[in-house]
Amino acid sequence: MGKVKIKRKSTLIDMTAMSDVTVLLLTFFMLTSTFLQKEPITVITPSSVSEIKVPTSNLVTVLVSPKGNVFISLAGDKDSTYSSENMRAELIKNVVARYNDVYGTKIALTQSEVSTFAKTNMFGVGIKELKGWLDLSQEQRDAYIDPSKNPKAGIPIDMNQDLTKPNEFQIWMNAIYNLTNPNMEGAIKRGEGIAIKADKSTTYEKIQVVMDNLQTMKMNKFSLMTALKSEDE
Amino acid sequence: MAQIDTGGDSGKGKSHQKKMSIHVDFTPMVDMNMLLITFFMLCTTMIKSQTLQISLPTNEKVEKEQQNKVKQSEAITVILDSDVDAEGVPTKNYLYYYEGMPPVTEEGQIDLALNPMKTEEFLPNEANGAAQGMRKIFQERNKEVVERINKLKAQWKNKELASTEAANDSVYQARAKEIRNDSTLKRPVVIIKATPNASYESLVTALDEMQINSISRYQIDRISHNDSVMMMAVKGIPYGQETAEK
Repeated sequence: MGKVKIKRKSTLIDMTAMSDVTVLLLTFFMLTSTFLQKEPITVITPSSVSEIKVPTSNLVTVLVSPKGNVFISLAGDKDSTYSSENMRAELIKNVVARYNDVYGTKIALTQSEVSTFAKTNMFGVGIKELKGWLDLSQEQRDAYIDPSKNPKAGIPIDMNQDLTKPNEFQIWMNAIYNLTNPNMEGAIKRGEGIAIKADKSTTYEKIQVVMDNLQTMKMNKFSLMTALKSEDE
Repeated sequence: MAQIDTGGDSGKGKSHQKKMSIHVDFTPMVDMNMLLITFFMLCTTMIKSQTLQISLPTNEKVEKEQQNKVKQSEAITVILDSDVDAEGVPTKNYLYYYEGMPPVTEEGQIDLALNPMKTEEFLPNEANGAAQGMRKIFQERNKEVVERINKLKAQWKNKELASTEAANDSVYQARAKEIRNDSTLKRPVVIIKATPNASYESLVTALDEMQINSISRYQIDRISHNDSVMMMAVKGIPYGQETAEK
């Protein structure tokens, strides 16, 4: 009798093809996506049919939380001389100098505090607290500007219209406008440089404070961040 | 011979050169890639936000003579308002609007009988293919422009405007701009105002409607005393009570 031979199959699978696929996927993700920026509060922006994309460089994002806390984030130029880090370092020095000048204080930041600030994406503390904030650890800093943990977080802002004695928000914006980055000024003038980001359910009152301040500073062109919605929704 | 006898396979006296397998096991490589993909999927975003560009007038006081007066027949004022809950979160949006000048009598009193202010609930702007709510208001008033734009859009979709796609797009953009700014057509001027309680969403929706309905002339303005008095009257709160609250 002939014996039935059961062929033993190897359990090894050739993973080369699988590897090819994953590398392709990886490449795709690396090229198409951008890193999530850490923000103190997550907001859901309203939607619009506008198809103008938010620029990635030369942009100031003003984040307004539903409770009215204001945060600023700054993105520098593509040119590495005016990179985000360099611009933030320059910004904070100018801001502190201007604040000392206007309010007669003597705040001085150390080199390490400046470099910590240069690495921070979004900030929102009063200039007086800035030095103490920059000395905290990463987690403590995040907690400090989180409106759910610290209701007082955010850049102090009011309806001040007297530019000889600007409020802190005006000092920040003015310093950003006057950065050595040559493209920033143009972007702000064209209305591409400033983006206001706020949650759907924020009341107009809170947004109006920011808009009013920008208007007072003659930055009357700016954009509102929205999510895309199709026209025939 | 220069061969070193390793002693192990001395049985046959002949040494086989071992054939190396060219197969490499890619499983760890796949594992690593999968980890990297997971990392990128979690830490990055593919969605890029859109922006709506607006420009506000300057805050400086403008001389009365230099002000551009809007033609009364063209103006429509839209006031956005929302109900808020105990925590100040807007719940329901409303829309108030009136055409032309606010109805102020010679004595400076508000008389709604002169120019009725209408109110409407903030509805989704389209239902069953028909415009409603804010969109209906604007579409009716900007009919001449909207009709022309729609015609143009149909041509653009069928690529009748030019031979190549890029040229088709640019011709469409140029012509659409021409139509929107054509002063021979009846075009409204929209003044958007919002109460402090109005939600940001309703403001963006209103600005968005300007784009959708091809309205080229619109403006965001501060709410005036007359406006709030009128709103109170529409809501049914007598004038005296409102001032007492303030």
